[in-house]
Formats: sequence, structure tokens, C-alpha cells
Amino acid sequence: MHPLSRRTFLTTLAAALPAAAFVRSAHAAAIDDLASSPDTLRALGETVLPAELGRAGSAAAVADFQRWVANYRENAELLHGYGTSTLSRSGPTPATRWMIQLDALDATARRSGARSFDALPLDRRRAIVRAELDSVKADRLSPVGRAPHVALALLSHWYASADATDRCYDARILKESCRPLASSGRKPLPLAGVRA
Amino acid sequence: MSAFIGKARVIESDICIIGSGISAAMVADRLARTTSRSIVVVEAGDDVPPLGQRYPLRERYQQYGESPWPNDHLEGYEIEGPLQSRSMQVGGLAMHWGGVTPRWSPADFRARSMFGVGTDWPISYDELEPFYQEAEELIGVAGEQGPPSMDPRSRPFPMAPIPLTYNLTLLKEWAAKSGIATWSQPVAKNSRPFDGRAQCCRNDTCFPICPTGAKYSPDFTWNRLRKTRRITLYPRTLVRKLVLHDSSKRIAAAHAVQRDAKGGGIPVEFRAKTFVVAAGYVWSSHLLLLSQSSRTPDGVANRSGTVGKYLAGHRNQQAFIALPMRMFPGMNGQHSLLSKQFMGAPAGDRYLRHDLRLWESSFARGPRLRGDDGSLLLGDEIMKDWRERTKTGVARVRAYYDVIPDRSSELTLDRSRTNAFGDPLPKLAFRDAPESAALRAYSTTTLQALFQKMARAGDGTVLQTVEDDGRGWQDHPAGGCRMGDDPATSVVDKWGRTHDHENLFVVGAPNCVSGSCANATLTFCALSLRSAREIGRTM
Repeated sequence: MHPLSRRTFLTTLAAALPAAAFVRSAHAAAIDDLASSPDTLRALGETVLPAELGRAGSAAAVADFQRWVANYRENAELLHGYGTSTLSRSGPTPATRWMIQLDALDATARRSGARSFDALPLDRRRAIVRAELDSVKADRLSPVGRAPHVALALLSHWYASADATDRCYDARILKESCRPLASSGRKPLPLAGVRA
Repeated sequence: MSAFIGKARVIESDICIIGSGISAAMVADRLARTTSRSIVVVEAGDDVPPLGQRYPLRERYQQYGESPWPNDHLEGYEIEGPLQSRSMQVGGLAMHWGGVTPRWSPADFRARSMFGVGTDWPISYDELEPFYQEAEELIGVAGEQGPPSMDPRSRPFPMAPIPLTYNLTLLKEWAAKSGIATWSQPVAKNSRPFDGRAQCCRNDTCFPICPTGAKYSPDFTWNRLRKTRRITLYPRTLVRKLVLHDSSKRIAAAHAVQRDAKGGGIPVEFRAKTFVVAAGYVWSSHLLLLSQSSRTPDGVANRSGTVGKYLAGHRNQQAFIALPMRMFPGMNGQHSLLSKQFMGAPAGDRYLRHDLRLWESSFARGPRLRGDDGSLLLGDEIMKDWRERTKTGVARVRAYYDVIPDRSSELTLDRSRTNAFGDPLPKLAFRDAPESAALRAYSTTTLQALFQKMARAGDGTVLQTVEDDGRGWQDHPAGGCRMGDDPATSVVDKWGRTHDHENLFVVGAPNCVSGSCANATLTFCALSLRSAREIGRTM
């Protein structure tokens, strides 16, 4: 039996007693663990993201996702929509939940005789992820913070990026970036020579 | 001038403007330019973050959905009914507006005379036209002249239009196949550097935050007027009541509270020769209704009993239409094409007037997790599926159509909900006049038939039609202090001066008799500038 990690201890404590200090500590512990042992998340990236990104591109997408997780703020005021006076705030950190899911991927891999999830070949990793996403009834790419599984969160995060859109359209659209107004009338240039 | 009298701080000025949104900014700007009067502006909310902080705020919004305008509201203002926005800050709702600035149509002001429905305004389009132009020049509008019969104007736009993207050029050609003339939507966004602000660079988050200042927002006006000391602006100061002079029907003071961080506050009394309520369609009527006394048991300016009545707006129908053309969503997605072809006389024998706007869209063209057969897509499968589905494009088409407001379309005081100072909060309910209610199904089917016709003209398919009517919501709400010549049926005259109190004006959105069928902010600005001219002329 594995000893109870600091993260697992804090996550369990935060779930039982959701005091702000425990929740913050659990979030920090999850971020620390992601930073110190990123192999499972990296392997997950290579499992679910397009192969055309290559190892470097996939690692970069995972690193961006890690930064997203690290900078998440609980109880932050969210954009309020039109037509209602209701306000809303961001929910609890998803980091602790996602770390537990990464642990579960490793545990599943170990049960099949592998050292860890990242040690499995791609097809077996993908089979595990499919089973996990089926178990959480994932049916769409949801907003990152509301993703019911870390694999889905990683996918949602990358597919929301300008890079993903440009690759899809094979065009330098560069959405939501500062671009010359005058060039907007022209068809976007193809990515040829831009891709890694 | 400021002094303490008793426990209350007393602040005196020639003109006291209540509210600091875009209508207030127009009034202050004009009065500061054309008079030497002292001007005080009172705003319940906080100052907004400076321009230099807007990229990081935008980043948090893009990444996490966080509000780019933190603390832009007062706590405890959850109200019953479809409030347009909780936003209450220096600059008002126009801090996060989309910057869309069409003029309304001449027909909007003459619906009764021309079509036998609704109520004529006491002013015509021609009377408002110079103030449309002034507003466009003040806030900086980039626009394209449409066909003059649909889009009359006396002078050119101050800036060349925002260029059509590649996608919009395709959509313009497509609309023309249905005989629909479209042109670049006028917007308060800089197509060139203007008034010390940057040229638009397509960041494409105009709503909810422009990070460069290329889109006009009222903070720019306030910054300039504060810097030149032409106004004094009091943020975090909630006006609770207007008080009559002891021996006349003039307004003597505005009683306010300067809010502290703990939910309490210090009383402040604003005294002025002229008061201008410029607090939008909700808070203007709300303040008048709160200002009850033995002499004004139903609130000030309410001899007609119509304060808070005839809330106006427009409803919309929109469609997402798949078209056999390759588009590239994300090039400048908030920019659109506009048509005013249907804003004049109704095309059929029943009353339906509407605008039409066209955008690029990624509806039903985003990446997805499940294929058509429900199978889970991973790795290369998602990208392959996405590429296949984006070989053709989608247009978003939306029509706002005119809704005639009912008297019972109203704002009332909700005695069951109060703010931190014990004042009742407003309660809102939008209701169509019977003539509009009877036309609702016809409006829906007629617009959907138009969308189908457009789809067919481009060998396309309507994927979905949607009506955005959540909980009785109407777009670009206005009214509540409608203008009119008859004091028995209106709150203000054609200048925005209340019939009951010669030194009290209500300006902008609340004055509207009807809500037209196009975005309303430029009209609110034009009305406010027209009121400001009258205020300046009579002081």
C-alpha cells in the first residue's frame, strides 16, 4: 500500500472540511506535484492531443495547461451576463480532482502490469482514457474548469487555443490577437512553413 | 463648493449629473465645452481600472471567464426581473458594450402616423439628426454610408468604416443573392487613430473589454474632463432621493451616501441649479420613484403616473445557416454586416420592421469529442473530424424587430427587497402592447421564412433558429421616463425636461418612446446631447 501523500491527505481533508486554508493547501500541493512529477500528464497529452504536434508541441501544450491550473483562482468574480442580476463566482480548484484522476491512470496502468501510465504504449494508454471518459459520461469539450476529467480539460484547453484553430484551417488566423486591421480583407495565409 | 452642514457634507454646483454612463458623459462633455458652469457628476459605483491594466484583465477573462471589470457592481442588488446588467461603475454599461452604433430609422419616430401602431415621438429623425452626427464625432464612429434611402445622414462618418473581413466579403455577396443590401456596421471603434486613442487591431474582445482603447468607452471622456478640472466626479456615491425646494416645485437637493467599504456610508447632499438624471433605463426611474414625500407621494416627476412605465426594447430572431463556402472564423468575429432594408415600411400587410445583421460563425463547426455515431474521438481523430466539418462555413444572421411597449411594461418598487440603506429595489417586467403580442407569431414565422430564403439563395441550410427571450428579456432596454408633449401621458418634454420640475432633466435611454429595431446606444447619446443643448441654453 502506498503511503498517504501530502496531496492526498490535504485533498481528503479539504473534501471533508472545506475550509479555505485547507482548500488552498490542497491546491498548492496538487500544483507542486504536477510540477515535480509531470510524466503522467505529459503522457496523457501525447495520448489525447493530435500527433502532428510532435513531442515538443505536445509538451508545450501540456506546459500551457499546467500554467492554467497553477493560476486558477477560486471564488473569482465571473463575467456577468445580460438580462439577469445574478452574479456568479468560480468554483473550487479542479487541480485536486484532476491530480486524483492522474493517480488513477497510473493505478490502472500498474494493475495491468506496467510501471506507470507513461510506460504504456499509446494504444493501451488510449484504451484507458476511453474507459475513463466513458465512465464520466463525457460527451463534449466543456469549459476547461468544468471538465469532469483531466483528459477532457487538457483537450478543451488546447482546442480553445489560436494554434488549434490555425491548424484546423491551415491558415494564419491568429484569433483574438492584435493584428493589422488593413489585412483583414485578405484570405489568411496558409501555415506552410510555419508548422513545427 | 463643499461644506459640512450638520452631519451631511454639502456639495454645491451649477449642474449636478447623476450617473456616469455614456449618456452622462455626453451631457457633461457638451456642457463643459459650451458653458462655464460648474459641473458635478455623482456615480454610485467605483472607478474602473485604467487602460494599462486591461490586457491582463482580458487575459483572465479569456482564460478563466473572470469578469474583466471586477467589483463593477453594488452588493445586494439581486432584483426581480430581467435587469440588463449588474454593472454599476464609472462609465456604466458602456464600459463593456460592443460599440455598435447604428442610427435608428426615420420611421421609428413616426410609427403611429406611418403605420397606425404605437406612439409617435414628439421629435422627428430630422430633429435628432445633428445630434447623431455630434455623437458620432464625439465618440468616434467608423462607418459606411448605406443607400441614402435606407440610411439618411447629412454628413459623412468621422472615420472610414472598419474594413470587411474576408469572411464578411463572402457573406455580403451571399446576401446580395437574396436582394439584400448590406454594408459595414457602424461602430465606435477606431479605423484610424482618433482622439488620442489607438487604431483597432482586431483583438476581437470588444465585448466585454477592449484592451487598447480603440473602442470608445466613457472613461476616456471622464479622464479628460477630470484632468482639465471641468468636472468633479464623485464615485462610490449613491443618490437615494431628490428633494423639492420648500416653496417651489424645483429640485433643491439630491441626498446621497458616500459608500464605505463596510457597507455603510457618509451622508452627502448635492445642491445645484439644475439636476440631470442620467442613470439609464432602470436607475433613473428608480430614483424618481424613491423620491417620495408628502408633496410627491408617487415620487418626483410622476404627476402622470408614468414614471417607470412603457419600458421598451426589441426582440430578436436569429439563425445559423450552413453555406457551401470556406470561411475562417476568428478574423474579426465581432464585426458584422448591417442592413436597414427592412427598417422602413413593412414588407407585408402586417406591421413588422427589423434590422438584419450578418456575422461569421463557428456554430456547429467547433472541435467535438464525439463523432456523428457517438464514438469518442481522441488524438488525431478530433482534428480530422474538425477539418472535415470546417470545409464549409456558417453564417449567423440576426434580426431585431420592433416591439410596441405596453404601459404595464414597467419598473416598480419592490418593497420585499431593499438595499443596504433600506431603499426598496426595483422590479422589472417587460410586456408587449396588445398589437405587438398579436404580431409575435407572425414576426417569428416571417423572419424564419426570410432566413430560409437566404439559405436557399446560397445553396445553404438553416441549422438552427433561436429567439433570445430569456425570462422576458428585451434587447437594448429603454423607456421608463418617456418623452411627450402631453404632461398627462409622459414624464419629460421633447428636451428631456420633466414636465413637473423645471430644473430636473432625465436624459438618454429613459426618454425613448419606443425601442426601434437596432442597437440603441447612439440614439441615447444623441438624445442626451440634445438635452444638454437645452440645459446649456436655458441656464
